[in-house]
Amino acid sequence: MSTDFAATAHATPSGPVLVLTGAIDAFTAPTAHDAIEHLTLRAGDQLVVDLSGLLFCDSSGIATLIAARERALTMGAAIALAGVPRHLTRILGLLGLGGVFPTYLTADQALQARIVAPTVDGAV
Amino acid sequence: MCRTDDGESSNGDDGAPGGDDDAVGARFSALLEDSAEDLYEHAPCGYLSTLMDGTIARINTTLLTWLGHRRDELVGHRRFPELLTVGGRMYYETHIAPTLAMHGEAGGLALELRTADGDRLPVLVTSTVKKGADQAAQLIRITIFDARDRRAYEQELLRARQQADSERDRAQKLASTLQQTLLPPVLMSVPGMEVAAYYHPASVDEVGGDFYDLFPLTGEAWGFFLGDVSGKGAAAAVVTSLVRYTLRAAAVFDPDPVGVLDNLNAVLHQQYRGSDRRFCTVIYGSLVPDATGCDVTLASGGHPPAIVVRADGTAEFLLTPGGMLVGPLHDATFTKVDLHLAPGDTLLLYSDGLTEARPTHDRTRYSEEQLLTFLEASAPLTASGTISALTGLLAGFSDGVEDDTALLALSVPGPADSRP
Repeated sequence: MSTDFAATAHATPSGPVLVLTGAIDAFTAPTAHDAIEHLTLRAGDQLVVDLSGLLFCDSSGIATLIAARERALTMGAAIALAGVPRHLTRILGLLGLGGVFPTYLTADQALQARIVAPTVDGAV
Repeated sequence: MCRTDDGESSNGDDGAPGGDDDAVGARFSALLEDSAEDLYEHAPCGYLSTLMDGTIARINTTLLTWLGHRRDELVGHRRFPELLTVGGRMYYETHIAPTLAMHGEAGGLALELRTADGDRLPVLVTSTVKKGADQAAQLIRITIFDARDRRAYEQELLRARQQADSERDRAQKLASTLQQTLLPPVLMSVPGMEVAAYYHPASVDEVGGDFYDLFPLTGEAWGFFLGDVSGKGAAAAVVTSLVRYTLRAAAVFDPDPVGVLDNLNAVLHQQYRGSDRRFCTVIYGSLVPDATGCDVTLASGGHPPAIVVRADGTAEFLLTPGGMLVGPLHDATFTKVDLHLAPGDTLLLYSDGLTEARPTHDRTRYSEEQLLTFLEASAPLTASGTISALTGLLAGFSDGVEDDTALLALSVPGPADSRP
């Protein structure tokens, strides 16, 4: 896949919003992992991953979302997905991950419905 | 520009040599001793002139040296084509001579000369026809360049290509050998049941990521699984190998299908942390044949749902909602489903290479629902009948199958099936 991929983050009062656009595959996933590692996350934050501009996502992309969840939980934060493309919703459902990621139609809705992280030190 | 005070002022107006030009003039007179005749004889290329029928009229020393012939052996006695190899001679008669007659020149011809010793000398040949004042063709002038360097270069290219071909063949052989170690060479036969499997690799160059197996547990019970690891190639093959051995070992330790997947999840999560995240989707099942067929328990980790095709021609998905993919989540959960296979029923496990195929070459993928409909239309089927119906379906997709595809079918023979 040669479609341009970009991972950008911006801060909101309830936590960072990570925007992934383009195609995420084995070649572009390291860029996304890098962005996830550099997110500023505090206990109680909600990390929103905005996928509304995502055009392609293979197993490397699924691994990226799982890495984002793991990092959020490690920091005592929560995670939500926004603007999940239909094909990705289907894949997440098949992989049994539908219930693992709270999802919202838009990043704004995710921010408004801001959920509280399960516990500050509950993650392994 | 700076102006200097030497003899540069003599440039331009009359072109007469200045003082410094005396030395240049001396070098020129030495060069002039290299007469046109000497240049012809010892030029760094071969020259020869022939009559219009090809008879050699004149030949230079350079070419005679290359050929190892004496001048009197050739001039007036031999035709130029006779100096060529058999193939070159035919090419001369059928192509070069007619081209010369029609166009007056023929260039860039790669030919081989036969030397007096019988060796072949690769050359590049350019010819022109010299015409007299009456425009009648008088003779053919031929210039011959030594092409041994070029031939060596071409052979080097050819050798490099042959080497690349052979390395690709070796990689393919290695991939298929490795693939074979990841699949059972033949399925074991379960008493009172029929089993069949199929594997379709998407690429001959890379080891696929799909796997399956069927093996006896203690007592009457059997374990079986079919899954798909993320990625392809050698790195994925390592994961496949780990998954297979973990599943078989875990089944001996605790035969409960959910427990087996819990165990596999712990192993994969521990083994592949950090950036090298590897995971798989898999259905693990256990079965116990009984007098009325066979009891089956399946647990799924994020895998497309298994399908049961009943003897009456109905088919249904065996859903395990919430069963997550195996490996990346420390807190993954798995769910199971129980069923009974009666005579004439068939259980099918498959990988998404089948349901994600693009049979019509547009963006539309085949689907689990279409597969269910296909199986209902084909029912009733035995395990081997199911596999052959699906291999036929896949063959119809041809290159619409982009991913590896694994199929595993188990059936209880019905009253109508012939029993061995």
